Amino acid sequence: MINWIFQLLVFPGLTFFVWIAFAFEWLERKTAAKIQSRVGPLTAGPKGFLQPVADYFKLIFKEEIIPRNSDKFVFLFGPPLYFSVPAIGAAFIPILGEKGVLSHSYDLLFILFIMAFSVLMASMLGYAAGGRYSTISIGRLVLQYTSYEVPLILSILAPALLARGLSLSKIVSSQISHWHVFYAPISFAVFLIVSLAELEKPPFDIPSAKTEIVAGWMTEFSGRPLAYIKLTKNLNYVFLSSLATTLFLGGPLLPIDVQDEFLKTILFLLVFLIKTFSVGFLIFIIKSALARIKIEQATSLLWVITTPLSFLQLLLIVLFR
Amino acid sequence: MVVSHCRRRQDLKTNIKSWAQKNSLWLFHVNAASCNGCDIEFVASLTPRYDIERLGAQLVPSPRHADVLVVTGTVNPLMRERLKRIYEQIPEPKYVVALGACAGGGGVMKGCYNVSHGVDKVIPVDLFIPGCPPRPEAIIYGLMKLRDKISGGSHE
Ligand code: SF4
Repeated sequence: MINWIFQLLVFPGLTFFVWIAFAFEWLERKTAAKIQSRVGPLTAGPKGFLQPVADYFKLIFKEEIIPRNSDKFVFLFGPPLYFSVPAIGAAFIPILGEKGVLSHSYDLLFILFIMAFSVLMASMLGYAAGGRYSTISIGRLVLQYTSYEVPLILSILAPALLARGLSLSKIVSSQISHWHVFYAPISFAVFLIVSLAELEKPPFDIPSAKTEIVAGWMTEFSGRPLAYIKLTKNLNYVFLSSLATTLFLGGPLLPIDVQDEFLKTILFLLVFLIKTFSVGFLIFIIKSALARIKIEQATSLLWVITTPLSFLQLLLIVLFR
Repeated sequence: MVVSHCRRRQDLKTNIKSWAQKNSLWLFHVNAASCNGCDIEFVASLTPRYDIERLGAQLVPSPRHADVLVVTGTVNPLMRERLKRIYEQIPEPKYVVALGACAGGGGVMKGCYNVSHGVDKVIPVDLFIPGCPPRPEAIIYGLMKLRDKISGGSHE
């Protein structure tokens, strides 16, 4: 029991994922800076590695301003709840073996539920803040969500079809010799596009468009709630890239058989980290290279292009399997 | 013994706080009737050649996220109330930087009928960066001074 709680909260659970989330933000800012031929964060820690930590602590020590017309309860307690959504999702990701810390035989469905719930939490927070910009932003967020949910589910269905199972451990264990990305490349591409939409990053940063609606639904938040929201956004990054690793890139598994338990754990961890960071890096590059598109363009891109493509991929799998 | 222990913990907390604050200054920029010269130089200090993100500074879109209010231009009566309101919207601890000669004390508009002769007539100012407009180097130097002020000591 104590072992299980340790796994859930420290390693490879919550604390581990929070540190990866910090590392992801550092990598994101560095990549964006390199692409714009800047330097990026440099003074906080070695090579600016502690920059996200400094940001986080600064926000923790800042004053919290609660707007007069906001829903105070949701405004204060919503952000930790919002944080818990990807934190629970991360516990399902297999890191040190075929099984995650929490795992059961239909956990893929639960992960889909978690991704929908995260959008619901965001809209709840935006409405609780009660500003005009937040309300506009939530309208856009929900519109975007309705357009990307179908391609998201269809693209996740491809590896499930290939593995003939709805559990992450089955999907991972079916990829020991061949990764699903080679059999379902279109689904992998669609999944990457949809993750950009889920993360509200360019070209889909319509709900938090800086030059149009201030900071989107986060406009009214300050201090600790903002720190939670920022951390959750980074954790979502990690969650989606590790999900892509699990579904398409074979998770932590190695084709060779290692006898020593300890060595095996270290190797699994290394493989998982390398794959996750590569997927994250791919997303950062796409994100930094593109500009924002209009909401109707985003909707038509997601409905008209990605949805039929993911259907086509499913059809190909069913025909040639 | 207990007292010294407590003080050490207090010290640790203040150290972490000042380290975090000085390494993560999020800027919010207000153009209070400036001629746009200062604004262009301020934006230039974010671009590849100068890149104040090295110091952890970042331009944020909402005053609720900001730590530093950067004001350019001579504050005319129309902007006075708006500037005060934006200042109130920034959570504590907050710092105000008056950028340029106009923001410092009127600059070329000195003696005109509808200017404030300095941001410090309207809101408290922590740092003045002179120049018409100040060069990005001056802005970076000013930011370093602000960091020193936060950590409570000299940088040299
Ligand atoms: S200080 Fe000079 S450059 Fe800056 S706003 Fe005033 S006149 Fe323009």
